Amino acid sequence: MLDAELYLNLIRGGTANLFRNRQTINDLNVFPIPDGDTGDNMYLTLESGTHAHGTSLTEMADEVAQGMLLGARGNSGVILSRIFAGIAKGFKGLEKADLPALLKAMQMAVDEAYLAVSQPVEGTILTVLREGAAGAQGATLLEDFLCRWIASMKVALEHTPEQLDALRKAGVVDSGGAGLLCMAEGMAAALNGTEETAGLAEQSTEIDIDAFTEDSILEFGYCTEFLLRLQRSKVDLDTFDEQVIKDWLSAHGTSLVFFRDGSIVKVHVHTQDPGTVLSKCREWGEFLTVKVENMSLQHHENHMDTRFKRSRKALATVAVAAGDGLTQLFKQMGVDIVIESSQNPSVERFLQAFEQAAADTILVFPNNCNILLAANQAAGLFKDARVEVIPTRTPGEGYFALANLDAEQPIDTLVQTLTESASSVTTGYVSQAIRDTEEVRKGQYIGIGGKEILATGSTPEQVAEALAAQLNAGQADILLLLQGADVPSDAAEQLQAKLEATYPRTEVILHKGGQAVYDYILVLC
Amino acid sequence: MLKIYTDTDTDLTPSLAKEYGYTLISMPYSIDAQTTYPYVDFETFDAHAFYDRLRGGVIPSTSAISKEQYIKYFTQDFAEGNDILYVHLSRAMTTTFDAMDRAVAELKEKYPGTRFEEIDTKGITILSYAIVREVGDLVKTGKTLDEVLAWARTEVDKFAMYFFADDLRFFRRSGRVSGLAATMGTLIGIRPLIYMSQEGKMVSPGSAKGRAKALDYLVDKVGELGEDIASHRICIGHSDVPELAHELGRRIEEKYGKQEIVYVDVNPTAGSHCGPNGVGVCFHAVHR
Repeated sequence: MLDAELYLNLIRGGTANLFRNRQTINDLNVFPIPDGDTGDNMYLTLESGTHAHGTSLTEMADEVAQGMLLGARGNSGVILSRIFAGIAKGFKGLEKADLPALLKAMQMAVDEAYLAVSQPVEGTILTVLREGAAGAQGATLLEDFLCRWIASMKVALEHTPEQLDALRKAGVVDSGGAGLLCMAEGMAAALNGTEETAGLAEQSTEIDIDAFTEDSILEFGYCTEFLLRLQRSKVDLDTFDEQVIKDWLSAHGTSLVFFRDGSIVKVHVHTQDPGTVLSKCREWGEFLTVKVENMSLQHHENHMDTRFKRSRKALATVAVAAGDGLTQLFKQMGVDIVIESSQNPSVERFLQAFEQAAADTILVFPNNCNILLAANQAAGLFKDARVEVIPTRTPGEGYFALANLDAEQPIDTLVQTLTESASSVTTGYVSQAIRDTEEVRKGQYIGIGGKEILATGSTPEQVAEALAAQLNAGQADILLLLQGADVPSDAAEQLQAKLEATYPRTEVILHKGGQAVYDYILVLC
Repeated sequence: MLKIYTDTDTDLTPSLAKEYGYTLISMPYSIDAQTTYPYVDFETFDAHAFYDRLRGGVIPSTSAISKEQYIKYFTQDFAEGNDILYVHLSRAMTTTFDAMDRAVAELKEKYPGTRFEEIDTKGITILSYAIVREVGDLVKTGKTLDEVLAWARTEVDKFAMYFFADDLRFFRRSGRVSGLAATMGTLIGIRPLIYMSQEGKMVSPGSAKGRAKALDYLVDKVGELGEDIASHRICIGHSDVPELAHELGRRIEEKYGKQEIVYVDVNPTAGSHCGPNGVGVCFHAVHR
């Protein structure tokens, strides 16, 4: 019999196994570039279900599902959260579950997961889930169930490349399906007592100390936050212009968030050297609080202080941006809340943003196809406003959709206009291959458009040029070139000049996107 | 004797003002609490330096001049009993004329015999510039005040101005342009299109994607609305993008034949509201 405690232990076992294998799952990427995050998303989602309490199976399953609903990240995470929502439905009213009840709950999980996706595709996590549930039918003991379940999922997973051409070309199996299998194996190990499950719930999702080891190099610097009280003995409070502090901090750090409220200055800044920042700020005042975190460990998300909440407005916009330059771009456009996120934001992070936006209607621009489901799930959960997700799949789509935002239009028309303008945008990505595939060698640069590799070459600029040609840059009015974090400016400027010369009627605009992984993002409109 | 006045918001430079006999009323702008009166505080307008500061993030503000300042400008002509004609920027765009109305009322009381008339160009920068120069031409050829006013009654609405801007922050700061998205800040590559309405207000009929489309729009508007363009100046104004302004001029001539085209630097006070990198055209039209 499956009771509340065992159910939670199984989930913890699954979480522990996903945690260990998350990078392997991340690397099961259709494109041979390091932007896969399915492992991280599924681990973080599952982990958000492990904090549940409950004496009956019904209560426990509900709490697990609720935790995952809020913690869901990425499309695979959202599907995973729906699987557990389905299981919770199946366990409704039960103190404990016998095998028939478990099998029934598994079927409900399959149904619920299919509902999460508007156009289900075979060869994905859904196939693996369905085949696994079907294969487990007939089991009489929990051990037997897990065994059959795992075996059928393995078979289903192996067949995914035959069902999806993109997987076959890349020589990988479906990452979501692999995550699901990995979770099931962790559950089996927990049942056998070979999986460490204790203490996992205590481990914070936000901090992963293994991310910075004895041999790590400080890459992202420190997230430094403090409240500084300006001191009369140090500055003239009546005439003091906080711009001085702001300017100094801007020159010595990034991602600056800065507020002054009377004599209190609130600062959030990313810096390589928090010591210097703190010493310098003592020239103006003394600290009330200080918090410094190594950003390699940190999953920093929400920096907005709720004390600075704005008054409620009719319409607000929320956009997701990865990279300083993109964040800046959306802020300059007047987006109300920009979710700065190197990782996919969770459903809960979206809910916080909706809360901060404080508006009757909120338009959400996810700007990444892997975030759409989480945004939709959050929109469905938020009750204080009408939330409309504009399905922008790339930052470029978000940008041009926002450019068409006319706040005076009725919301229905507006949503339609914005969705249409997003779909008129073409986005291309340039990145470096990290493994060999049928089409490319490791180390080569590749140009991706839609779901295909359209260009390959030995430099990012060469590939960007070829990609621009493939994407018909000559027919576009604007080519927005987003320069990646690691691309030198002179190379980017030369590329811009070349593209301008090749496509004289197209306005080629270079913007420092500051994004990781992609040397260039080409946005054509 | 007829005395003519205009203001620096019309882009008229002191040398042209002198040529026509205009007295130039200086309309101020402020940056960091420092107020500058064009052609009072400087002799020549360094457009490049000014717009470069705006590109660097400065957003200037503009302010209305006071009743006392108007009194100072007009007293001598009121006292001498001259006819006064003030050709000015759009009343709908500023509150400065409230102060002027009070000044004129006071002066009229003091000098009841003096005639004070105004022509509201219902525009700013090149639109006002075109009208100010046409009025100047008429006065030069000896037209009377009544003849000039009669001309203005039918002609002012026949000068159309269309332009595009680069950065909406400036408009957001300076108030509403109807049709423009209120939430929008900087837009890279998307250019809001704006024209001056019959009411003397800025209206945006939409935006254009990319420089080429934005220029197409202006060139097409000249063809669509233009009337007798060959016998009027075509004024092209820009906020520090001379190459773009000349490209526009070239394309207008390519399409509609050789024209008398005047290139104008948008004055800093108007430029405070439209920002750098804007280009516009004013031409004689069927309607605005």
